[in-house]
Amino acid sequence: MATSTAHPRTSKRARQDGPLSRETVIAARQRARNYRARARAADLMGILCWVSVALSVSLYLAYSGSSQFTSPGGFITAAGIITGLAGTDLILLMLLLAARVPWIDKTVGQDRAIALHKKLGKPALYLILGHGLLLTVGYSITDGSNVIAETISFFGLGNDLLLAYISTGLLLGVVVTSVVAVRRHFAYEAWHVIHLLSYVAVLTALPHQLSIGGVLADGTLQRIYWIGLYVTAFGAIAVFRFAVPIIRTLRHRMRVERIEKIAPGVVSIQLAGADLRRLGAEGGQYAIWRFWSRRTWWHAHPISFSAMPTDRTVRITVRELGRGTSRLTRLRTGTFVSIEGPYGIFTDQARTSPYLTVIAAGIGVTPIRAMLEHAKLRPGEASILLRGSDGSQQYLWQEIGQIAKNTNASAFSMLGPRPRNYPTWMSAHALANNITLESTFPHLHESDLFICGPAAWANEVLADARDAGLPEKQIHIERFDT
Amino acid sequence: MRKRAIAVSIVSSGAVIIAGWNIGTHAQTAQTTEAAPVPPPTRVAAPPAPTQTVIPQPKTSAPASAPPSIPAQPAPAAPAAPAPSNTFTGSSVSTPYGNVQVKVTVDAGKITDVTPLHLTDDGGRSVQISNRAAPILQQEILAAQSANVDSVSGATYTSDGYLKSLQSALDQAGR
Repeated sequence: MATSTAHPRTSKRARQDGPLSRETVIAARQRARNYRARARAADLMGILCWVSVALSVSLYLAYSGSSQFTSPGGFITAAGIITGLAGTDLILLMLLLAARVPWIDKTVGQDRAIALHKKLGKPALYLILGHGLLLTVGYSITDGSNVIAETISFFGLGNDLLLAYISTGLLLGVVVTSVVAVRRHFAYEAWHVIHLLSYVAVLTALPHQLSIGGVLADGTLQRIYWIGLYVTAFGAIAVFRFAVPIIRTLRHRMRVERIEKIAPGVVSIQLAGADLRRLGAEGGQYAIWRFWSRRTWWHAHPISFSAMPTDRTVRITVRELGRGTSRLTRLRTGTFVSIEGPYGIFTDQARTSPYLTVIAAGIGVTPIRAMLEHAKLRPGEASILLRGSDGSQQYLWQEIGQIAKNTNASAFSMLGPRPRNYPTWMSAHALANNITLESTFPHLHESDLFICGPAAWANEVLADARDAGLPEKQIHIERFDT
Repeated sequence: MRKRAIAVSIVSSGAVIIAGWNIGTHAQTAQTTEAAPVPPPTRVAAPPAPTQTVIPQPKTSAPASAPPSIPAQPAPAAPAAPAPSNTFTGSSVSTPYGNVQVKVTVDAGKITDVTPLHLTDDGGRSVQISNRAAPILQQEILAAQSANVDSVSGATYTSDGYLKSLQSALDQAGR
């Protein structure tokens, strides 16, 4: 069936139309409450971000009043100090966003947090560069000297400023290597090591902030607040990126138990460990795994759970994409495994609507598989569409078919390549037959739509869902890099 | 972010900035009325007294903890017979936060007192900072009997200016 159309995989049995049951109504209310709480928390986060930037500006205003703004030199100097404070505040926010703070993950999810982190990179860099430039110009106007003499005099001011210049250089390197076009030329590990220098950059900037100038002078409230920001950002990283993963890894002591080849280039890795339900993984979540063999320890892989953990086993499923993942297919049993996570809100918890619709492509089926297992589905609640460009991509389809059967869900498959020259997530054949989201899923508008697959493909589904008028809160998307 | 959240962000950020501005300007007016002994000099680094040596690049000082590097310039007067007790006024040193000038009293070759004539006062908090730093510097100087003392942390500019001005006064005293 090389280019099959969408067809029912299990017969569509009588769907439970008519009035919704009591449990369904209760569940719907609970979901609405959860959603409101999450939306409020997300709003609060956004507000905190903005206010923290405003506060950093305010720190300076409370210190200087209007005195600095009277002369051109003073004005430029003031602007220079403000850009420095605001830029540093943004960088500390970026650290927090990347610190995998549980509150942030539960509220907006790691991927959105990282998207914002990426967005802030360039503005933060521009503010810091502006800080150096404006202060040099501002001081040189005030002193009646020139920019070069002023810069030389800065170097005479002691080690703190020297460190600040180093910090700026590091920051420039970190941001430039993270620009998409440049990042492609680096191996992930090289990029990551450079990226870790941002910690050094933020720390080397601190001495000059505290010793030079008066805004953050000893004994001021400003200084206490500012040090508090640093402690919060670095504390979050120390706790959530280092302490918690190490404790989890040691507590659960996971090792590779079995490697099962489920298709060419795709393996399910079963891990055995202690007390694994205490990981608290929800179906649809992923974790960042590191396999401690000689050839694989230096590369951490984000991989979704492909089944709910039992007390002593966890299963993840991975497709070979690069050299790193292809080594995973040849892991020895007994290899020690460390875990960061579980993370993500691509779960039943994030739902807002009475019906569930899932569309998955390729290896994107893995989190869907675990989510369907975890969600307590009432008969007929779920509709599933599995997408593959050819028959070899039917990873875990059997298992999903079984879940669909048990929960009386409608399951469809759509095999075949996408048409050339036309952007769509569907197969050419399905497109030619005028198949749409709405024609496939009668309950689409009362559904949460879960989309999981390669980024470009997933964006096409997203576009169709939006065109169909599905509100954002009903769309949940997990993109896999290819 | 929802519209309401954006509105709240704008309003609260604005409030925070206005509050900061108010605190700053209040502190400033309070300090200019009560704690400014000498009328503030103009921002352009023109020394008030014509006899003093002017240091053109005040911010090129040595690293914070090292002594100010002026000893290369010898005292203008021959140190043959230093007055037994005398007061010397140091040069006015400009910093990004205002000028600094000190007066030193030397009794039989011993520093008996250092008094600031003018301290950094540009910006509301500078006065506060320099008022805090001055007694610490004075104590250190009287103990060390020279300008070779550590600068006060958080008051780097004030300390540098203070010690430079002091050194120029000591040069005059022939010490």
